[in-house]
Formats: sequence, C-alpha cells, structure tokens
Amino acid sequence: MNGEAILPYLIIIPLFGAFSMPIVNLLGRKAREAWAVIISGATLAVGSALFYSVWENGILVYTLGAKSPLGQGVSFPIRIVWEVDLFGAIMVLMVTLVGFLAVVYSLGYMKHDTGLDKYYTLIIILELGMLGIAITGDLFNFYVFLEIMSIASYALVAFRNDTWEGIEAGIKYMFVGSIASAFILLGIALLYGQYGTLTMSYLAVKLAQNPTVTAKVALALFIAGLLFKSGASPVHMWLADAHPAAPSSISAMLSGLVIKIGGIYALARILFSIYGHSVSMKTVGWVIIIFACITLIVGNAMAVIQNDMKRLLAYSSVGQIGYILLGLGIGLAAYGSQTGEIAMAGAIYHTFNHALMKALLFLIAGVVIHQLGTRDLNELSGLAKTMPKTTFAFLIGAAAIIGMPPLNGFASKWLIYESSAIFNPILGAIAIIGTAFCTAAYVKVLYTFFGRPNERVMKARDPEGSMLWPIIILAVAIVVMGLFPWQISDKVMIPAVKALENQLAYISAVLGGA
Amino acid sequence: MMLMGNIIYPIAGLLGLYGFVSLASLLWEGIDRKLVARMQRRVGPPLIQPFYDFLKLMSKETIVPNTANYMFRAAPVLALATAIALLAYTPMGFTPVLASKGDVIVFIYLLALISFFKIVGAISSGSPYAKIGAAREATIMVSREPAMMLAIFAIMWRLGKLGVDKPFSMGIFYQHNIWEIGTPMSFVGAIILLYVFCVWLASEIEVGFFNIPDAEEEIAEGLLVEYSGRYLALLKLTKALKAYIAASLVVAIFFPWGIAGYFGLTGLSADVVNLLFHTLKVFILLFVVGSVFRAVTGRLKITQAVDFLWKNVFLASLVGSLLLAMEVIM
Repeated sequence: MNGEAILPYLIIIPLFGAFSMPIVNLLGRKAREAWAVIISGATLAVGSALFYSVWENGILVYTLGAKSPLGQGVSFPIRIVWEVDLFGAIMVLMVTLVGFLAVVYSLGYMKHDTGLDKYYTLIIILELGMLGIAITGDLFNFYVFLEIMSIASYALVAFRNDTWEGIEAGIKYMFVGSIASAFILLGIALLYGQYGTLTMSYLAVKLAQNPTVTAKVALALFIAGLLFKSGASPVHMWLADAHPAAPSSISAMLSGLVIKIGGIYALARILFSIYGHSVSMKTVGWVIIIFACITLIVGNAMAVIQNDMKRLLAYSSVGQIGYILLGLGIGLAAYGSQTGEIAMAGAIYHTFNHALMKALLFLIAGVVIHQLGTRDLNELSGLAKTMPKTTFAFLIGAAAIIGMPPLNGFASKWLIYESSAIFNPILGAIAIIGTAFCTAAYVKVLYTFFGRPNERVMKARDPEGSMLWPIIILAVAIVVMGLFPWQISDKVMIPAVKALENQLAYISAVLGGA
Repeated sequence: MMLMGNIIYPIAGLLGLYGFVSLASLLWEGIDRKLVARMQRRVGPPLIQPFYDFLKLMSKETIVPNTANYMFRAAPVLALATAIALLAYTPMGFTPVLASKGDVIVFIYLLALISFFKIVGAISSGSPYAKIGAAREATIMVSREPAMMLAIFAIMWRLGKLGVDKPFSMGIFYQHNIWEIGTPMSFVGAIILLYVFCVWLASEIEVGFFNIPDAEEEIAEGLLVEYSGRYLALLKLTKALKAYIAASLVVAIFFPWGIAGYFGLTGLSADVVNLLFHTLKVFILLFVVGSVFRAVTGRLKITQAVDFLWKNVFLASLVGSLLLAMEVIM
C-alpha cells in the first residue's frame, strides 16, 4: 500500500467534512448526523490504512507542494513536511478510532442539545487538529495544529453554554491553555531566530552542530507549555474542571486523546526527535520524572475523595498521565539502555490503552448522566440492577485501568513498573502507591454501583444502540488487546520506541542523506 | 505434539487436580468438624457430612432477592472458577501445572480475586448485613495480604539467589527450600516467617480470631446472608478449595519434601504419591492452624484484628524477611 498517497486524506477528509457541515446541515438533522459519521468513519479507514503502511514500511515523509522537501539548488528543506513514524501512526490510529466512536456516541447523547451543526463541525475539527499534530514534521505547522485542537476543545468544553459550569470551565481552560500555547509559540520563535529553520529534522541537525542557551530556554518553554496541555501536576487544575463540564463524548476525547496528543506525544517528539542528542537527556528525564511522581500521587489521591463521577474520572486521568510521564522520563533518563526502551514502550502502550479505557469510562459516565441526570455517586447506588450492560462495561474499564491481568492495562503498567523498579526502586514504589490509590477510587465506584438500588436508579434503563455500541466496541477492544499483551508489545510498541529513539533515521528520512 | 503438550495435558492435569482437591478439601471439612466435636466431648457428624451438605444445598430451591443485580448470580460462579484456575498455579507436592517465571504474582492475584468476587457478590445482594460483612472482609483482606506478600517475595528472592531456572515461580520450592540456607540467622528468620504464614493462613480461611466477616451472631452470616441453594453450595465449595490451596502454599514453602524418591518412583506415579503425601501435610497443618485454633479461641473485634495483623504479624514478617535476607544484603 502506498502510504504517501493516502497520507493527505487524513487531513483532507476531516477538513472537507468540517467545512461542508454548515451546508449539509441545511438538508436536516439526519443528513448532518450521517455526514459526521461518514466523515469520521472514512478518517478511521484512512488512519488504519496509514498505520498498517507505516508498520510495514517504516517512516513516511510527505512534502507539501513538491516531490522533495529540499529547495532547488539548496540542501536544506524549505517546504512543510509531514513525517510519520510508528509512534505517530499509533497516535493516528488511536485518534481516529476514539474520534469515530465519540461521534457515533454523540448521535444519541447530544440529541437534546441545540446548535448541533456547530457541535459536529467542532468535533471533526478537534480530530483534525490532533491528526495534524501526530503527522507533522514542521514545528510551526505543529503549533498551528495544536491551536486548532486547543481552540476546538475550548469551544467544546463550553458547548453547553446555558450551564454555569460549562462557561466557568471553558474560561478557565481557555486562559490557562492560551498561556501554555503562548509559551510554545515563544519557544518556536526563539528557535527560529537562532537557527533559521522550522523543519523538525533539519532543526535537529542545526541544534546538534551548535547547541546554544537559546535552545535550552526554548526547551524549557516547550516543556512548561506541553506539561500544561497534558494536565500534569501542579498545572492539572483546568483538567479537573473541564472534563466534568464538557459533554461526555467530548470528555472522552479530551481525556483519551487531547491531553496525550497535545501533551505526551508532542513532548516525546520534541525531546527525542529534535533535542535528541543536543541536551543532557538525563537532566531532562529527571525533570519529567519529578513532575510524573507528583502527578501520579496527586491525581490518584484526589480521585479517591471525589463524589462526582466525572470529576473522579478526570483526576484518574491526571494520575494515569503520571504513569505515562514516568515512562517517558525514564525513557529519557535511561536513554539507550534496555530499561529506557522498556519504559518508553510502556509509556506508548499505556497511552493507547488509557485512551481506550478512559474513553470507555467517560462514555459510560455520559450514559449515566443521560439516563439519570446526576453525576453524584451518592445517588447512583445500585445501578447494576437496572443498567446491567453499562455497569458491566464499567467493571471491565475499571479493572483495566487498575491493571488487572486479563485486560490490556496490565501489560502496559507492568512495563512501567518493571522499568521504574530497575531504574530506581523508589520510583517503582511511588508507582505502586499511585495504583493503590487508583484501586481505592474505582473500588469505591464499583461499591456504589453494585449496592442496594435507590429509588432514583429504579427508573433507569440501558441506553439506546448508538450509545451502547461504542461502549461495547471499546470494552471488546480492551479484552481482546488484553489477551495478546506481549505480542502487541513486541510487534508494535518496541518497534515504535526504536523508531522514536533513532533520531538519525528521522532526520535522514527528510534530508535524504544530504 | 505441541497441542498435546501445551493444551491437552495441562487441561487433563487441571481437571484431575480439581476432582481430587474437591474431594480432599470437603473430606477435610468433615474431619475438622469431627475433631473439633471430639475436643468438645461431642460425637460430631460423620466424616462425609460436607458431601451431604453440598448435595442438599445443590438440590434446594435458590432464592434471589429482588434487590440483587446480575453479579449476585455471577459472583459464586466466578469465585469458583477463579479457585479452579488457581489450582493450576498451586504447588501440591510437585511443580504446578502452569508454572512459569514470575507466576507468584498470578497466585497472589487469583487468591485475592476469590475474596474480591465474594465481596462483589455480597454487596450485589442489596442486604445491609451482607454489606457490613463485605466491608469487614475487605478490611481484613487489605490488612493480611501485605505481611504475606512481603514474606513470600523475600523467600522467593532469597531462594532465587541459590540458583534456579525460573525465578519467582511457584515451582521454586521443589528446587531449594528455606531450611537449606543453613545459617542461624536465616533459620530464626524462617521460624518467624512460619509464624507469619500460620497467622496468615488462619486469617485467610477465617477461623479463630479471624472469623469476623461472616460472624453469625452479630451480622447474621455476614457475606453469605442472602445466599441460598446452589449459590451457597458453590461458595462453600470455593471456601473449602481455598483453604486447601492456602495451606498448600504454606506447606510448599516450609515442608516441601516428597517421599516418592524413597520408593524409587518416577513420572506420574511419583506425582500421585507426592500429592497424597502433600495432602497429608496439608491436613496436619490445617489441623493445627484451623481446628485447634478454632476450638480454643473466639473471634476478635474487627479493629483488634486489624491492629493485630499490622502491629504484630506485619512487623514479624518484616523482621523475618530481613533476617532471611541478611547474608545477601550485608
């Protein structure tokens, strides 16, 4: 399969879908919904084809506007390039899959809201922004896609603008997020001023030739901005408000995708592919590890004391980001050793797994809110009696996120535990403490769901098909992925880490050995 | 051949073990009741009374409360299924059927999962008595497992230092045992850990001090209050299996010697003889930790039990593990 031929469609299809949505909307509600499903479904098809192609053939480079990224007669890239390695392809697959399921879920879930043409436009633009981040090989292009993603998510968090909390969370998220974006833009400006290029791979060459203080300042700005976007402690406060206030289909995308693409993926890409050998990996690794440890403990511990179901899930997302950051940090600090490789594989694997699990849990929370109109856990006692399928799916999701063996969360967490215990036993102990808190939080929810049914719950029913099927698909994916953990790890995640760590291949794919 | 070796034989072995252990563990219950009755100068029931009980419960009408959800019916089946799966990882006189590197974690996990399913089943009944029982079971579980986990990891780590092909596997005990290390300090450590494991076993099978979660006097059978008929029969069988499995672990750690070697047996017959001898050791251990302990003491309060498990048993586990690890660390 020719990957380069299909790569542009990853952007073309959602862009076309989003821009034609206002026109399609004139045909009525059914047409609008069908259009959203078709567009996100087609994106999913392209995304999976792209993943397969990259998995088979390695790094994929696409140049906008010409055959070669290099200018005529010059040996440096002058055009925007898109560059997808296996790590990027995994992210593409994850975004398109969860995005498609969230759109299907929205058909039932958003039925009672108004302004849905804007909703579907925004959700497709959100997906577009994330896909752009995953495939781009150009630093400014990255910023543009990051902003597309961020602005779409501000608007979607505040989508229900007749509720006070939607507006409040939206404002908070927007202020914080804009500052974070400004950090990143400032970093890009510094790098451009110093090195005169914006292509990631060429920038990496320039950086290696002439490491300057400016580059380090820019790196600090990048790390600060991206940790904001990923919801790491101590800057996780926007997340705990934004996730509960957003519609649940959006929470699923925010928690499952946005904080990982805009945070973790971008961080890994910038640190490995641009700064690869020009800064001390050990120092940067330890900076990330420290934030990871704080995030792990704070996120999971705060999840235990929540009474609001979505807030609990949001804090749990913060905690799980802590695990991914821990894997990333160890992957940097132990760069080049097998421990570092396992840690990074664990981080990538956990990113994918957590996207599935958290999307599942947020979709379920949405079902509960939709059916009962409350998120207060104290009022949801005995839900298993009247919503058996939903609560069973929740059981699977909760067990997977804790990391119980027959499910997918086990393998990814195991890789992180193992590598952190080898790297530094104290970090292993911190990871275990985080899991203990996480277990307590989810057992609390299960304890509520399986308790004695209260009166409010007795009227609830399992949701309609369009809301139930995405949940079932995610639950099945979690179980099936859980059955082949080590095969997935060896065949996909370890090669993805190798591709990420191989900075030379990333550079020469664009520069063509020039 | 791959199919035969990797799938058929383990399944056959597991089914055989399941059949044997079900009979043996129910028979032990009969012996236990008889012995405790004799200690209290009663005649006691016949030895095969648990089998009658099981059959009777199976044939009775099963009542499901109308506040119960699907987990009420699923939990007993899942608990029994977990116990059966656990048999494949339990050392019973020979290396377990599915022994592999690191399977001690699977063992601990499945053992805890049985309790977890019991808890989920109990809260799913909707009865407040069952909920109290479940909360107690969870409290005891959280308090008793760390002591055991610390001790078993310390022992396995120490034995791994003597050279084994599969570290942290349940088969390790049949390659080296804790008494082989031989230094006085490790001997004292091993004795302390034996104490830890005996208390852990008592709290795992909930006898004596630890008969708290289904305290029949205060909270009317606690966890099991709503269960009747088939489900109760399954849960009772699970409980018997779990007692046998937990005792098997202690026997395998501290008394792993087989007798087949003395008769010059090999292959299947050696395994059968070792299994029978192992069962005898399990019965003796259960007699000391189960029957005698049950007959001579009453139960503690839940707070006292938690205090005891953390301040006494966990501390002992820490000291014992350190003593055992001393020569390697120093």
